[in-house]
Amino acid sequence: MSLLWLKVAVVLYGIAALAVLPVALYDRPRWRHIAIPATVAAVFFHFVSLAEMLNAAHHRLPVDTHETQTLLGLLLALAFLVVYWRYKTVSLGIFLLPICFLLGLVPAFHPGQESTSFPLIHTGWIFLHVALLLAAYAALLLSLLASLLYLIQERRLKQKSSTLPSLPPLETTDQIALKALLFGLPCMTAGLLIGSLIAQATVGASYFRDPKILLAFAMWLVYVAMIYIRRHSGLRGRRAVYLSSFVFLVVLAVWAANQFSSVHRFTAP
Amino acid sequence: MSTTTQGRLVLLGINHNTAPIEVRERLAIPASRLAEATRTLLHQPGIREGLILSTCNRVELLTLQDEISDGVEAAQPQIRTNLLTFLQEYFSVPPADLQPHLYEFREREAVRHLFRVASSLDSMVVGEPQILGQVKEAYTIARETGAVSTHLELLLQRTFTVAKKVRSETQIGSSSVSIASVAVDLARKIFGSLYGKTVLLVGAGKMSELAARHLIEHGASAILVANRTESRAKKIAADFADPTVHTEAIPFDDLYTQAPRADIVITSTGAPQKIFGRSHGQHFLHSRRNRPMFFIDIAVPRDVDPRMNEVEGCFVYDIDDLQQVAAANLADRSREAQAAETIVSREVDKYHERLQSRDAVPAIKALQQQAEELRKAELVRSQTKLAALTPEQREAVEALTRSLTAKLLHPQLTALRNSARTKDPE
Repeated sequence: MSLLWLKVAVVLYGIAALAVLPVALYDRPRWRHIAIPATVAAVFFHFVSLAEMLNAAHHRLPVDTHETQTLLGLLLALAFLVVYWRYKTVSLGIFLLPICFLLGLVPAFHPGQESTSFPLIHTGWIFLHVALLLAAYAALLLSLLASLLYLIQERRLKQKSSTLPSLPPLETTDQIALKALLFGLPCMTAGLLIGSLIAQATVGASYFRDPKILLAFAMWLVYVAMIYIRRHSGLRGRRAVYLSSFVFLVVLAVWAANQFSSVHRFTAP
Repeated sequence: MSTTTQGRLVLLGINHNTAPIEVRERLAIPASRLAEATRTLLHQPGIREGLILSTCNRVELLTLQDEISDGVEAAQPQIRTNLLTFLQEYFSVPPADLQPHLYEFREREAVRHLFRVASSLDSMVVGEPQILGQVKEAYTIARETGAVSTHLELLLQRTFTVAKKVRSETQIGSSSVSIASVAVDLARKIFGSLYGKTVLLVGAGKMSELAARHLIEHGASAILVANRTESRAKKIAADFADPTVHTEAIPFDDLYTQAPRADIVITSTGAPQKIFGRSHGQHFLHSRRNRPMFFIDIAVPRDVDPRMNEVEGCFVYDIDDLQQVAAANLADRSREAQAAETIVSREVDKYHERLQSRDAVPAIKALQQQAEELRKAELVRSQTKLAALTPEQREAVEALTRSLTAKLLHPQLTALRNSARTKDPE
């Protein structure tokens, strides 16, 4: 049943992704009345699906890649709605909603079959660790996309295009990018801290010598450095996109390292 | 030619398409005299209701005149003459000066014209928003003077609804078409809200001051003025004096040190060489920790080196760029105007149908009343035969006769309504 709800959510994400295009690119605000309700409904079905999925598997946290993808997609959709509620812009949906659609598509039609023997899988702390880190990744992705939107709008303004699409003002996208990063920092810090405490208690000091774990701490340092640079030099536009992209690549590397790490991998085939 | 039972709708006027400014200004009525003019119009023979719309681009008399049942064709010139007499007497303009510029619309075409005017389809700048407010103002004055009642009330309420519909269902008024409003639009695309933003005015000029005023109207909170003549700078700054706006004349020598304070710089000096170069842009952005700056260069020759636009965070628009955006927006409006015309046509049809249905109401009421009287008379005639019935049975007979009457009348009433709707308005 959870897959059915996920399929419904995916279809709704698809509809919303198409409906934001006329709003953002052709200044047709009435399409917003389709995009927003479709996203709200998609988030609802997505949540129901995830809850049922985890309930059926008798664990509290996403175990396999597909479940993790699903949770990340849900967080991104929520981020889109929060941005809409706060800034009344759907332009980020041009990128975010297709990503939500794709993140839900594979799990909806090809669910994962992995299981885990991790002993703390039923504790709330491990769920918090995963959820907080995923929220930090979602915030970083949101920040990167907002910076991209800034770049597009800046280019169009500089090219003096006579027909500017209905993208949000530069200052708005800059604020979204910075606030998303500021939201992501405590999430990432808390997520890593909780993970470290659990690892210390279960594995011991050897855990922290694993390259994946070291890379995760390096990611935190890079993240903090990026926020410092952005706040103190007022970095915007092209250079902000480069910096965010670099940090995002580090995050992807940390994510990918889950597949190779000997101490930090959720799933066992 | 048929007419409605409510009277005859006639609209007479001149506008920017039919009359030059020399003629329009002779007929213009200031807002303070509009009520008195409307009262005078209402005193003309045969005029039941009336409204005068007087703007810088048009003067129009919308009137509802008495129905003329006999010799309708012969009466047509008389209707026009009444309105012409008003125009000639009120404005003391010889008929020969007015006749070539006047246009006249009646009934359905008058409704269409009014819908088009209020929807800004007949404006000099199609889609401009002021006209709806002007029509509303004319309506308020006419209503206060008692010149608008049933028929025009219905028509004007419908006009406002149609105008709003055109605005909400098309993009006719969404883009700016004047240099000053284009500048505001661009500033908002950069800064979002203009609240708290600082504008630097370099040099003097009507257009630059107009742009600055537009920016203040949209929230800019500080104006810095730099001019080679200090007294001139102080005077311009004083012109902008407002409790909500910080104004400051800055010495021209301090221009480069003060410029980073400004989010928006409007330049219109007569200097033969550039005032702001690329390196200035880099320096300003550095001082502002990369917060964007918007340069509006209205001067010819230009005051800002166009290469400054290459500096990340600097946006430079010269007069040609602004005009290009304005022209593109105007073209967009023309496209939207076609969609708006379709809405207006549909609404004219709907309004006319509604009006025709209203025409049928007296006949329908008379028929219903006659049937009801017959029903009651028949019941009275059978009273003795029905005397033995219980109150419940009497109620059932009442209901039965009412239902029968309604069913028998239904085809006739439908035919009446249809006939009213399909009746040719002309």
